[in-house]
Amino acid sequence: MNYRSKRGITIYIALALIMLFFSLPLLWLLSLSIRTPAEILVRNLHVIPHSPTLQNFAQVLNNHQFLGYLWNGLKLAIMGAAGACVVAVPASYAFSRLQFRGKAQLLFLVLGFQMVSPLVMMVPLYRSMQAMGLTESHFGATLIYIAMYAPIATWTMKGSIDAVPRELDEAAMIDGCGRLQAFLRIILPVSLPGLASTFILTAMLGWSQFIVPFILLSQPDMLPISVGIFYFFGAYAGSAMQLVAAASVLSLLPIIVMVFFLQNFVVGGLTAGAVKE
Amino acid sequence: MKMALQRRHSGKDRKSPGAARSALRFNQGDHPFWWLCPVTIVLAVFYVYPVLEVLRTSFTDATLLDASYRYTLGSYRSILLDPALLQILEATFVFVAGSVIGQTTLGLLISLALQAGLKRRLFGVRAVRVTVLATWVVPGVASAITWQLLLSEADFGFFNAMLKFASLPPVPWLSAPWMAIWSATVANIWYGTALSVILLYAGLQTISPTLYEAAAVDGATAIQTFWHITLPGLRPTLLITVIIVSVLSLNTFEIVMPLTGGGPGRSTEVLALAAYNMVFYDFNLAQGSVLAVLMLLINLAVATTFWLLFRGSR
Amino acid sequence: MKFNRTLLLLVILSIGCLQPTGSAWAQDLVAPDRIGRSDAPKSFTFRVLTAHSNNNAQPKFAAGMAELYEKYARNHPDWRVRIQLMSLQIPQEHARLLEQARNGTAPDCTSMDSFAVPLFIHQGLLKPIEQYFTKEEVEELFAFVRPIVSDTEGHIYAWWWTTDLRLLFRNTAHVPDPPDTWQRTKEAALAAKRTTPGLDGLLFNGGRNETTMVDFLPNFWAQGGKLVDEKGTPVFGKEPNRAYLLNAIAYYQDLIKSGAAPARVASITDYSDLTASAIAGSTAMMISGDWVIGQMQAAMTPDAFAKWEISMLPGPTAEQRSTASGGWTFVSFSKDPEKVKACMDLVREVYMGPAVEVLQLLPTRQSEFDSMPMFRSEIYQRIKQYLKKSQARPGFPIYTAISNRLQIAISSTLSGSHTAEAAVDEAMEQVAKVVPKP
Repeated sequence: MNYRSKRGITIYIALALIMLFFSLPLLWLLSLSIRTPAEILVRNLHVIPHSPTLQNFAQVLNNHQFLGYLWNGLKLAIMGAAGACVVAVPASYAFSRLQFRGKAQLLFLVLGFQMVSPLVMMVPLYRSMQAMGLTESHFGATLIYIAMYAPIATWTMKGSIDAVPRELDEAAMIDGCGRLQAFLRIILPVSLPGLASTFILTAMLGWSQFIVPFILLSQPDMLPISVGIFYFFGAYAGSAMQLVAAASVLSLLPIIVMVFFLQNFVVGGLTAGAVKE
Repeated sequence: MKMALQRRHSGKDRKSPGAARSALRFNQGDHPFWWLCPVTIVLAVFYVYPVLEVLRTSFTDATLLDASYRYTLGSYRSILLDPALLQILEATFVFVAGSVIGQTTLGLLISLALQAGLKRRLFGVRAVRVTVLATWVVPGVASAITWQLLLSEADFGFFNAMLKFASLPPVPWLSAPWMAIWSATVANIWYGTALSVILLYAGLQTISPTLYEAAAVDGATAIQTFWHITLPGLRPTLLITVIIVSVLSLNTFEIVMPLTGGGPGRSTEVLALAAYNMVFYDFNLAQGSVLAVLMLLINLAVATTFWLLFRGSR
Repeated sequence: MKFNRTLLLLVILSIGCLQPTGSAWAQDLVAPDRIGRSDAPKSFTFRVLTAHSNNNAQPKFAAGMAELYEKYARNHPDWRVRIQLMSLQIPQEHARLLEQARNGTAPDCTSMDSFAVPLFIHQGLLKPIEQYFTKEEVEELFAFVRPIVSDTEGHIYAWWWTTDLRLLFRNTAHVPDPPDTWQRTKEAALAAKRTTPGLDGLLFNGGRNETTMVDFLPNFWAQGGKLVDEKGTPVFGKEPNRAYLLNAIAYYQDLIKSGAAPARVASITDYSDLTASAIAGSTAMMISGDWVIGQMQAAMTPDAFAKWEISMLPGPTAEQRSTASGGWTFVSFSKDPEKVKACMDLVREVYMGPAVEVLQLLPTRQSEFDSMPMFRSEIYQRIKQYLKKSQARPGFPIYTAISNRLQIAISSTLSGSHTAEAAVDEAMEQVAKVVPKP
């Protein structure tokens, strides 16, 4: 009993320190978001300003495009992640279970695509998307997200499928299933936790993606929050920081909502692995 | 061709009686072609052209200002012979190595703590998870500006004020070249750990609980359990994590640019930021492409090194 | 429990689908993405800096701009203007414009930062607009405007409608008289620090950002220095410009070495940092811009604010003074002359006057200073005089490359990692590699 509670306390201390490091900038951001324009430039150590206000949140929410930015961001992130997973899952199964020549090289080639800086690709990407008529649409942007995140998704899914013992495949195939059926009926359900974390990973990458939506979309009502946040700055950078801070705090809303509702699928919801001995 | 495949695959599957039959019947599923099709199509249609263009442009002298260009190795010469390249690589090395070590270690600690905390149903564990994930959800530019405020060396800079409170001398977080790159790295660790947490936590889940139970029965301490069960079990996940973190850190400048702009001087100008400046300030597309190629090569080298180091049981 | 949660989630998601669409504004003349009736026959695309439009994040400015847009809509019932937004990420936005202009997908009418205009003129991508403005209107523009927006033959390609300038701000409680030379500035800063320990003498941008350049260049220009010659070839690394550059950098270095300015200026890249220090009373002087006046007034008590005064930037001697101005313009990419005219009508009726008052920015014509009530005050009349002596960054595409390299040079010198001579010579070398082909 003594040992257990000592362990418990150690964990608590570790968690508390972690919380401190990660929440400090977030608390600061919160503090900026409740300041009036007069106090935004008053920089002191008081986390709570002299006259806190909620008017920044009201102003941001009244901005006709703000909710749209959040919605677009969510939409693009989720569609991109879903597409990337759909495309990556069969590939990761092949890399995990099948033997073929050049497997390792192909794996690295796939990852290699991920390694080219999207920034420098911006110009040829725009030209090729324009030639295909896919600019100015969420559909086109989603396709690029899928292409961008499929490599990472492939690698992480491969890791998840690797962790599923081959005995399961073989047992299924002995029972008369083909590979495809073994995959769909047995492997996929078992590696669902891995799929979920891959999905969340690629969705989070998609949420913060700036360059692709910036170059492909011009209409304000199509932009995600990663681009839209810049429209809250005033005429001179720093002159409307309170609104940028409020918008940033509010952009946490979707994640809090999602985590609250989907916590069974997010990190921490699923208990120990699905391998039954 | 198909017959040869048939023979090859049926040879491999000859482990159990029914295998030969199923191999003959469903060998099409064994060929990686269809499984790899979706990924290949998606990458080929949307990614191959831009990537090849970047490679091609690096061998020209193209700029954003001019539609015409000539093929030349001059861009490579300019970059590789640039005395500043060494400093850029140094900054990049500190940034990437620091980020990989920091993000992976912190990610591991957090995942372990989360797992242990959730098992014991400790109060407030969910809050930690949300906070860590929130760091990635907040728009990067807002995070960078907040870090700039925290690291500011003015009277109101939080960290220096805390130091003053503890009667310690202030630190030139952003104005000393040697310090600035570490400050930028810490900010990047804060920003990117969420990804490692997601990956490593999922990896932790794949370790069979019976192993832990057996260890507990054997009377292993926490450290022994960690070293002999958790770490080896996490090896494949750690490999993927460090590779992904290194690729992302190498390509990112979202936090660095608003924080320091690459300065003072070029002390925080990591490769990705150098490429950005090359394209958007010098309008030099060709040299920017050379830097992108350099980043690609370094990425591949780092990933291959990790792969070879971690391969172990593979 | 689970059932309730799922229901709640569905409710929230469906709220997300109900964002206001264009149709909600069909009856109004002005919408966030449109000026004019949505069924008007003719239209043009208009990309504008968010803060200069009815999408300004602060409601009072947004409302003021919406009013001005409405007036335009009433005067031009045939036109529908499709609004796109531009952010303050100037390099990316202008690179995107460049690419779109080449592809033919650029907006018909767009905001453009003043120092990007020469780039587009040289590329031959802009439509001349001098026919839409009278000779008097053009002549009233401050001197620094014409060279940037015109080509060698005198055609005008952009209407520069708002500007800004750099000033020396001082707290008269610590520095009663305006210092007019570098030497006097340093002395005043040191004197202030002696009487009030813990006070910073002078703050300015010295980190790696365009802001540093704009604040620094007046020191170079005041001596007669030129970054480029008339043809646009970089000459800042050659004598006598090189000596002027080194003098100016030495002035900055001296400020730090003597303690007049704290070492941390080598990492300051943001005017807000300076403003915050002024408001906190932790600095005696600062080099900042005119827009900060309003910010300080809003944040400080009237007594505290009354102590602050502005003056022209100091120079090597009292007669050699200069300041730098930037600002925003409007240009047109459209191949349809009707759209170019409609664009310039919008510029004339909304931006050439009314918008500067609504947004509280500086106008670019001397007459506007006298005609608009806000600018008749003593401070603004002084600003008008300073603007007459102001300079803009050189009108050549190579400027951004020069700026990048000089930023590196200045911040590395100020942080002590390079000597000024080595830094400037390297900057010149690097820029020479970038010279665009004829």
